[in-house]
Amino acid sequence: MFPSQDKNPNDRDLVSRARQGDREAFTQLIVQYQVPLYNMALRMVGGREDAADIAQEAFLRAWEKIRTLRDAPFKSWLFQIAANLCYDHFRRNRRYGTMPDEETHNIVGLGIATPDPQERAEAGERNRLVRQSIQALDHDMRIAIVLRDVNGMAYDEIASVLQVPLGTVKSRIARARAQVQERLQQHPEFFPREDVHAE
Amino acid sequence: MPSEPRVPIEPTLEELSALIDNELDAAAHARVAEHVAGCQECQARLEGLRQTAHAVRGLPMETPPRTFTIPAQRRQAWRWAPVGWLGSGAVALLLIAVGIQNLHLHLSAGPTATSGSTSTVSGGLAYGPAQGQKGAVAPLAAPAPSPQLFDSQSRGSAMNAATVVDPTNSSRRLVLDTDSASYPTTGRMQVTAQLIGSPLTSLNSANQGLTLTLVRNGLGVALNPVGVESWNGTPIFGGWYDIAGFPLSAPRAGDYRLEATWVIPDGSGRVLQSSVPIRLTGN
Repeated sequence: MFPSQDKNPNDRDLVSRARQGDREAFTQLIVQYQVPLYNMALRMVGGREDAADIAQEAFLRAWEKIRTLRDAPFKSWLFQIAANLCYDHFRRNRRYGTMPDEETHNIVGLGIATPDPQERAEAGERNRLVRQSIQALDHDMRIAIVLRDVNGMAYDEIASVLQVPLGTVKSRIARARAQVQERLQQHPEFFPREDVHAE
Repeated sequence: MPSEPRVPIEPTLEELSALIDNELDAAAHARVAEHVAGCQECQARLEGLRQTAHAVRGLPMETPPRTFTIPAQRRQAWRWAPVGWLGSGAVALLLIAVGIQNLHLHLSAGPTATSGSTSTVSGGLAYGPAQGQKGAVAPLAAPAPSPQLFDSQSRGSAMNAATVVDPTNSSRRLVLDTDSASYPTTGRMQVTAQLIGSPLTSLNSANQGLTLTLVRNGLGVALNPVGVESWNGTPIFGGWYDIAGFPLSAPRAGDYRLEATWVIPDGSGRVLQSSVPIRLTGN
């Protein structure tokens, strides 16, 4: 299980200070959560600018309302705000969003950059197919798998963010994975069935 | 409950998926694992789900394309502030008006390392300008390292290093080093952060809870901590960073600190922090 930072006492300290109007404390919370929050929004809505707008608005709303936050974990609360903004985005745009077609320099966590252009191209294509498969999911399943496998949240944390029962979280993640798997297996050149290894 | 032995029933899709995440209770975990161990079909289903989760988790984390800010004018909470808070609120607004960038943090000269469960970032902040406000404020951008192979052998030649040991677990350490303490503003800085004793092997910095920030006078530039390798089980992050690409405030030359903050991903909330001095020279 991925660990949760929601129970981080540091968050509580920062939130306590931010509730009293401490901008520096809130900025530290932004520093801590900007990348995961932005990536959640990015995997949900697809476009980088839309995702950045959602993350910005989520931080703004959190800053404006932080005095109303009592005992709830800040992380879950912040992601809940962002999730609602994603749903607002879908309602406004009446579409499922479009995924970016190409990578940019704004990427972290790639690991060792391979010097082989062919390998890099294949890795890029694999990532594009995964992003497309996520994007093809309906919103409820998409956010469940994103919070789990992109943001690494535990099921109870996801249930808190989405305000749904634990069983619903479990079901949505499972169905989302099954649908993504089905789509990926349509590309055996990149996702061969035989090439599976347990971690 | 019947006590006689029986063949465990076939697990559902939800159970197999939750098994991957270790999200089944002990009884269900044992039942599903027992069935899977003797069922090739379920082994294949489980492996397919595991591979899918692995593919999604392998998507690269991206850095935001712009700075996230909290403009003062949208802070409605001040209207609700009790009378006793108005003084501090006015002070805060005044500070914002005259430029928060004038706040200076005291930076010590040598490498430092701290641990504890309080602040994760000490001074590694970047205040974006309020809406419509212009100023020499370094945005919270995240420069990426150059896409070249990280030379793990060069770790031994590091000249600028700091190590902090987890006080509750002496085998857990955060080691931060750079290949020099001084660079030209057009130079390249090699950074390495070793998460020794991490409970995770992930090379995803968000999963590891690792942030790197170059700080001066309370302003910071977040660096992308790229996972480069898991060396003897130790996740190692770093790479080469082109300093010319950093969105630093003018004058770019000056004394900075490179801070590594590690929120240990074990749910304990413990934080290790190391920092080293960085001097930029030239224009």
